[in-house]
Amino acid sequence: MGRIPRDYLINRVVTLVLTILIAATIIWIIPRLSPIDPAEIALGRMAAGAGAVANSEEILAQLRTQMGIDQPLIVQYVKYLAGALVFDFGLSTAAFPTPVSTLILNALPWTLGLMILSLIITFFIGNLLGALMVWERSPKLVKVAIPAAMVFTSIPPILSGLLLMWIFAAKLQWFPLTGAYSIFVEPGWNWAFIQSVIHHGFLPALSIVIVTFGFWALGMRGLMITVQGEDYVKLAEAKGLRPRYILYRYMIRNAILPQITAFALKVGLLIAGQVLVERIFAYNGMGKLLYDAILNQDFPVIQGVSYVIILMTALSVFLVDLLYPFIDPRIRHEAH
Amino acid sequence: MTDKPVLTLRDLSIEFPTPKGLVKAVKHLDLTIQKGRRVGFIGESGSGKTTTALAIMQMLAEPGRVSSGTIDLAGIDVLALSEEEMRQTRLSRIAYIPQGAMNSLNPVMRIEPQLWDGIIAHEGHVVEAELKRRSDEALASVGLPHHTAQLYPHELSGGMKQRVCIAMGIILNPDLIIADEPTSALDVVTQRQVMQTLKDIQAKIGSGLILIGHDMGLMAQSVDELAVLKDGELVEHGTVQQILEAPEHPYTQDLISSVPLVGGESFLNPERQADAPKRDSTEPLLRFDTVRKDYGDVTALHPLSFTLQGDTPQIISIVGQSGSGKSTMGSIMLGFNEPSQGKVLYEGQDVYNMSAAQSLAFRKNVQAVFQDPYACFNPFYRVNHALKFPFKRFGLAKSEAHTQQAMEEACAAVGLDPDLVLSRYPHQLSGGQRQRLIVARALMLSPKLLIADEPVSMVDASLRASILSNIYDLKDKYGISILYITHDLATAYHVSDFVMVLYKGHVVEAGPPKEVIGDPQHPYTQLLIDSIPWPDLHRSWGHTGGEWDPEAKEAAARRADMVFRGAVPGFDLVAG
Repeated sequence: MGRIPRDYLINRVVTLVLTILIAATIIWIIPRLSPIDPAEIALGRMAAGAGAVANSEEILAQLRTQMGIDQPLIVQYVKYLAGALVFDFGLSTAAFPTPVSTLILNALPWTLGLMILSLIITFFIGNLLGALMVWERSPKLVKVAIPAAMVFTSIPPILSGLLLMWIFAAKLQWFPLTGAYSIFVEPGWNWAFIQSVIHHGFLPALSIVIVTFGFWALGMRGLMITVQGEDYVKLAEAKGLRPRYILYRYMIRNAILPQITAFALKVGLLIAGQVLVERIFAYNGMGKLLYDAILNQDFPVIQGVSYVIILMTALSVFLVDLLYPFIDPRIRHEAH
Repeated sequence: MTDKPVLTLRDLSIEFPTPKGLVKAVKHLDLTIQKGRRVGFIGESGSGKTTTALAIMQMLAEPGRVSSGTIDLAGIDVLALSEEEMRQTRLSRIAYIPQGAMNSLNPVMRIEPQLWDGIIAHEGHVVEAELKRRSDEALASVGLPHHTAQLYPHELSGGMKQRVCIAMGIILNPDLIIADEPTSALDVVTQRQVMQTLKDIQAKIGSGLILIGHDMGLMAQSVDELAVLKDGELVEHGTVQQILEAPEHPYTQDLISSVPLVGGESFLNPERQADAPKRDSTEPLLRFDTVRKDYGDVTALHPLSFTLQGDTPQIISIVGQSGSGKSTMGSIMLGFNEPSQGKVLYEGQDVYNMSAAQSLAFRKNVQAVFQDPYACFNPFYRVNHALKFPFKRFGLAKSEAHTQQAMEEACAAVGLDPDLVLSRYPHQLSGGQRQRLIVARALMLSPKLLIADEPVSMVDASLRASILSNIYDLKDKYGISILYITHDLATAYHVSDFVMVLYKGHVVEAGPPKEVIGDPQHPYTQLLIDSIPWPDLHRSWGHTGGEWDPEAKEAAARRADMVFRGAVPGFDLVAG
């Protein structure tokens, strides 16, 4: 395996930084195009709680100063970018005055754990099933069962989630209904807690796997059909190689390449993707945080969450770019 | 060599059940191949030659099946083998060398493991030192350097990939090698080198060889016996000598006579020369003014100037191997590929700096026919769409009936029955029909210049001559000037008025075809001519004489000056 050429690396790093900068700018501009004044909303919330607020003009001005929205736009922008570098997005307007970074930090591990894990599981199951759908030697049962299982793909995730809850949590009582861990265990690196997290995460993860594996399976099926017709697969058969070896080393190994790029793109999307799954399982992840922030017009949180999503997507694409020459030797030439 | 047969086919029939009924791909084939003999299977696409080979390998595509007969491989009844026994038979007893060497190697594996996995699949665990010894030996036997083992397929040239495929095939010393058009994707010089390698190695291991192909010349130079197949039937079988010198079946006679030969009889029937279309410009039709093209550090085309007057229609051939810059030249002429230096002038106007109206006129007057007749149609539309659309776009259509009439006339001009082809979809037509339609499409626009880039290299040999005569008719009957880009010297010899031989972006030899191709002076042209397989047993490949040594010739070609003999009126060439 050759080293990564320096020019290629520089090129990729510059692309990464530019992508993040442009995206961060866009998510900063969009809320500012909206006529809503977050200070007024905060005041409105106070008024709703207290019935009436005296000196409202003064409080409004104070709120604006605290939120930093009384300053010229350019100053706000520079401050925002400087803050974004250290993940400081100011204070939440809905859960005022909690810093946005604290909210994200509390939610992110749950999402990363649940979503990335289910994405990885889905990636493997989906691609394997997709490959088996095409492989000539797959058992008949597999060839019938997989397309039938595709039905689940067309079910909205909330429905499949509710169905799973009803069967496994309500009827069979194998798994807890909601939450990320049991209230009877102490959060920390202890076995009881980890066990509880896995126990609670199983159903949400399963509901995601069930509805998303079809994406990978269908994509893989198409890629496998193309690869199956390739001359090198025919020659592999003519060489008398064992069928399983041909499946793994010649067919899947080549068909999987575009799927790996898709995987990188999905990482970012998934963080915010399964909002409804997090909702119905009352799972306190990024999806739920974003959902609540949108409902409350909590701009700093929306910005913060969007920024993290962009960062994750850009980073995973960056990593795949670096990794790609190692999994596809043909790419290395194009580095020059 | 013993006379023991390595392969005996008895009454072999192969059929494909399709929704439209049973298709009999091979009918009652009887054939015996002796050990150490080379047998050629020749016929058009669809004649059953590849199907027979795949049946011997037990690799027929679904739903094809052997419906009757037996296949006996040196005492083994192939049809009675279980799937696992057949797997073990492949490579160890029968090796297959595929057609598309370009794509026959796993792109994500180095060469070495691709040689090793064949050994391991048949012998189980073998220590690495032994694997290495055997793979190095196999690579050396096909003339590949030792370090090839560590390369990936995309790092090899087409000829090298085909040699790797041969090395794979012989690594277990099979009884029978089946080579399915192993050189069809290679240019002539490489073809001769690879064919020589294959023959040498087959003689060394003493196996039988089936060479599948459609090129009578290549067969004459490569095999001992010929089996001629047509529509799944063996129409003639005998030694090459018998078949070439006294072909009995009319189809075999056709196959032999349809090969255009340098110096041979012309396949064209020139009629009276038509006048060039009326021109409203006194400027030359096409002019290259010191045109050069670079791709990065590589110069694909060195500065070249020529003027094609266009007052009398002419066919100018541009001949060269892949990578010689001939297609680059074509795309520059068509305005698709801006030159790095110099100007391309069409009737005095710079092709890369035209107004919208000039550009429209240029597109109508300069038409193209490309290599791949499959890629030239939008599969979504019936083929008449491809003919109708430009005709209407360029404002030539007066009415729907007029368009229909123009289409029918164009089809008739290229020998197609308009009722039969026009309302069909592209996939329902053969390659030859499609390529004719592309010519018809160009003709409908009454262009002044046609650029034909390898127009017949992807159609069956037997159709090449007739499609070329369609193209020739464009000059002869319709007065259109043509630039014919090809690697095939024999056809260039017959159709062109002037030939330019391109080598690494330089015009190395130019002049009238009878001189350039009939009596080549430049070492590179000589090498090309020497590499043509001749369908003549008394002649070893080409004819310029002397030892065949491509390296020495190429070295000489790099030093030699351009040879330029005789201009033709209306065409001036200036190199440098």
